[in-house]
Amino acid sequence: MELNIQSVSMTYPNGKQALRDLDLELKSPSLIGLLGPNGAGKSTLMKLLVAALTPTAGSILVDGRPLAKAERQLKAQLGYLPQDFGLFDELTVTEFLDYMAALKGLRQPKAAIRKVLQAVNLEEKAKAPIRTLSGGQRQRVGIAQALLGDPPFLIFDEPTVGLDPEERIHFRNLFSRAAQDRLVLLSTHIIEDVQSVCDQLVVMDHGQVLFTGTPEALIQSAAGHVGVFWEREAGQEAGLHITARVNTGRGVRCRAVADTLPAYVQPAEPSLEDAYLYLIHLHTKEAAQ
Amino acid sequence: MKTLRLFFLELGRLLHGRLTWLVLLLTAVSPAAGLVLYKPADAATMLSMYLANPALAGGAAGGILFALLTVFELDRARRSRTEVLTDAVVSPHAMALVRLLAMLTAAGLATVLTMLVWFPVSRWLIGAVFTGTDYVLAYLLFLGLALPLAILTAGAAYQFTRRTDLSLVLFAAFAGLSLTVWADDWQLCWLNPCVWAMSDDFTNFRLFRTAAYVRLTWLGILAGVWAVSYLCIRRYGKGPLGSLARSVRRVWRPVIALALLACSGTAYAAQPFFDNSNPDLSAMHLYELDYAEGVTFLDRTVQVYPDTRAGTLEGRAVYRFQNTSGEAWTVYFGVDPGYDLTASVDGAAVPAVRTGYEESNMALWEIALPADQEIELTLEYGGFPRDWNLSSTMQGDPEISEIYLCLENQRLFPYLLNVLPGEEGYPTTVEITLPGAMLAIPFGTSQAEVVAEHADGTRTWRYASNSTGGILYAGDYVRQDIEAGGITIEFYYGRKHQAVMEAAGAADAVRAVVDYCTEHYGALSFGTGDTLKLIQSRVAGGGYAVDGASLLNEDNFTTVNLDDRSKGAVPGETFIHELVHQWWGLGNMFDVGDETSPWSSEGLTVYTTYRIVKELYGSDYAQKYYVDQWQRDVDDYYLNFYVRHPEYLEKLPETERLNIAGSLSGVRHYSEMPLKLLKAEQLVGGEAAMDQILHNLFNREIDPMYPYLTYQEFLDACHLTEEELDLG
Repeated sequence: MELNIQSVSMTYPNGKQALRDLDLELKSPSLIGLLGPNGAGKSTLMKLLVAALTPTAGSILVDGRPLAKAERQLKAQLGYLPQDFGLFDELTVTEFLDYMAALKGLRQPKAAIRKVLQAVNLEEKAKAPIRTLSGGQRQRVGIAQALLGDPPFLIFDEPTVGLDPEERIHFRNLFSRAAQDRLVLLSTHIIEDVQSVCDQLVVMDHGQVLFTGTPEALIQSAAGHVGVFWEREAGQEAGLHITARVNTGRGVRCRAVADTLPAYVQPAEPSLEDAYLYLIHLHTKEAAQ
Repeated sequence: MKTLRLFFLELGRLLHGRLTWLVLLLTAVSPAAGLVLYKPADAATMLSMYLANPALAGGAAGGILFALLTVFELDRARRSRTEVLTDAVVSPHAMALVRLLAMLTAAGLATVLTMLVWFPVSRWLIGAVFTGTDYVLAYLLFLGLALPLAILTAGAAYQFTRRTDLSLVLFAAFAGLSLTVWADDWQLCWLNPCVWAMSDDFTNFRLFRTAAYVRLTWLGILAGVWAVSYLCIRRYGKGPLGSLARSVRRVWRPVIALALLACSGTAYAAQPFFDNSNPDLSAMHLYELDYAEGVTFLDRTVQVYPDTRAGTLEGRAVYRFQNTSGEAWTVYFGVDPGYDLTASVDGAAVPAVRTGYEESNMALWEIALPADQEIELTLEYGGFPRDWNLSSTMQGDPEISEIYLCLENQRLFPYLLNVLPGEEGYPTTVEITLPGAMLAIPFGTSQAEVVAEHADGTRTWRYASNSTGGILYAGDYVRQDIEAGGITIEFYYGRKHQAVMEAAGAADAVRAVVDYCTEHYGALSFGTGDTLKLIQSRVAGGGYAVDGASLLNEDNFTTVNLDDRSKGAVPGETFIHELVHQWWGLGNMFDVGDETSPWSSEGLTVYTTYRIVKELYGSDYAQKYYVDQWQRDVDDYYLNFYVRHPEYLEKLPETERLNIAGSLSGVRHYSEMPLKLLKAEQLVGGEAAMDQILHNLFNREIDPMYPYLTYQEFLDACHLTEEELDLG
């Protein structure tokens, strides 16, 4: 499956411009991490990709066909977990998945439901009414419905919200396995979720794509711009963006990114989070200028 | 195929909801409101009270309940935020359609459930005159189709607004219009069809056809509105207009919506049930046409073929005229506005022109005729008869079915408007071919006889008459000939009512009443020949009489009315009461001075019933069941708070006031007036003197301009004053 996003802009009726002249190419198999701060335009992009919105400019092609004409084809191949969703509380987990399986037109829904329940560790709750589930369990039902029928295109918007660390690791691995033969788009705030599994990253801010490439390339782009220092040794330099402060027995140890590291800052190996923060910091600074 | 699968899926989900089952159960019990609260059909037939009213109440209540459920269910996906998941898989349009189908199926389930629950109840309440056909059609049309209409309305409101509160307000306003200001407009009352009466003993197909037509028209209109709202289903983050602009790109969608609206709008405008008669009831244009100079009527032969399945009629009438003017002339006919007409003279077609003017349920047709001295004009006519728009809230009159029909004047054959009678008057021979079970009963002195029996079981009846028009009743009647009052009473009543009539001792009652009243008051003016036909008619809101025939309205002989103790101690006595109305009520009509007056036809009728019962069963019986009962009622009446303080009655809400006033009025008419008459009887010198006074009053010369018997006339005849009859 291949999606081409060509010069896409999206302005809401209230005048807010969510996306600006966006160009992207998404090809399967791939697990693409979509990173960006709040308001970056990630959710808007996802809504465009699931045909919940139409762009105000530009076009989206699904396997070479305009999305407007390929909407039915897209929906038949799509598994989608939005950031904000609900479930029919009066149904049990199995009934709800059966409902979604029927909506998707699955031929053997029972087997498919069994498979996804196993995948999201919800077998024990299969017959439980949804109204009795915890927040994390509801999130897992959401993931399960997206996985139903092994759709070739999966979109997850903040899928690990509400999950405990162990579950997050489980789902990261699940997404990674799913991406072996599919196109998976994973939007998240949690850098760890994408660091270990995504083979491609898209970083967005203010409706623009700031970076596309591998995580390694993003990390590489921050080399020489990340360092650590003791807070008590810090000067008053502008442009130093502290990304972490750790209280130790010897004082407060800070981690920061900057275009040019001051002398008292000891260069450090950048992590993906550092690289992401450096990129956003750089873009914010450029935008301010 | 996918839509079908989605439909079953959505239906299953819908039936999982507790609210759905609550609505189903409440709908199933809602017809109970028609027994106590909501009773739009005010006729006293059993089917009106125990079938029409419950079904109508169930339709109104069920409609409202399903509207609530529809809005709740449509909003559920948005409210629970599941919409974002389903919309990513299936188009919101597909889901809207599937949800609508699921709701409609749930409504069908509710209808079936309600019909199952009420079948034994209705059967028990209605008794001997219950039939499955009436039951099924009444529930399907009055209740069953109200639910989809409400669902479409509520669904459309929600799809336009996407707001629960606004949708409910819009639905409430629209339903409120139907239940209030539109309630008397048979085409506008979309939720509660305009039903005033159902016949117990005869058929109700005309009423059902009317209700079905209105239901289907509204189904088309509301389906069209729903289809437009379907185009406004929000998509791609756009508002209603933006979504509409996107949705109409699939051309078939707006085409279907517009086609539905256009078809239903046409059906609304071109309804075939009521005419367009001049609303000015004083208009007499048809009766003021100049008579054709030098033209007289020779004779007329008519052959009529009712189609009792379709409720239509075909006919052929041959008119012969003599023209001594030597000039061409134009003949005018008043024809049922639902009929079409073609004309020929001596076998050659001549143009018959429908003028477009309608008055008194007749369409005016004109035919130009040559100057020939003798002309034979053949008219072929027929169609689905239209009722007078004046009675649009009282549907059912032109019933043509295999159990009953009534063809009046222009509905039987074209009514001649501008030709004077010849020396023989208007000699007419009518032949009508009817199903084998039907008796043809010309309303008047004519007697119909069977002249042919056909292989298909139908029979052709023939009768002769001599009047400008004519009324023919036919039906599955039982005929009993009763010798009474020196004449033969041909008593006709519906076969369905036979058990009730026999239980009430109808034949004996007829004999007793006719003997007694003829002896004491005199013969009925319309029964002066050798025979008098007493014909039980389909419920029609009143009776009437002509020479040789009188109608008995069927709602006077229902089980409930016959059990009404204010009219008689046992059903047979109530039957007597209703027959006495032939003398006091029909033979002599009454003017009611004001609503607080005890004077009406009921007073003399109850008094006469008492006298007949006294003669039949003795004075002790009559004293116990009549006079003592009246006295108890009147004692209570004079103690009644609102009688002593009528000013407080005026302060009550209208419904309460009307209920109490109706109850008090009943006591005045059925108990106070008979007691006053009893007092008058004592004051004038006893029963014989009173009988003489009543005999004189009954046979007085009636002023045709004001043919009513007034209280003052009665007092004057008794040489009494109103105060002398005070009971206090």
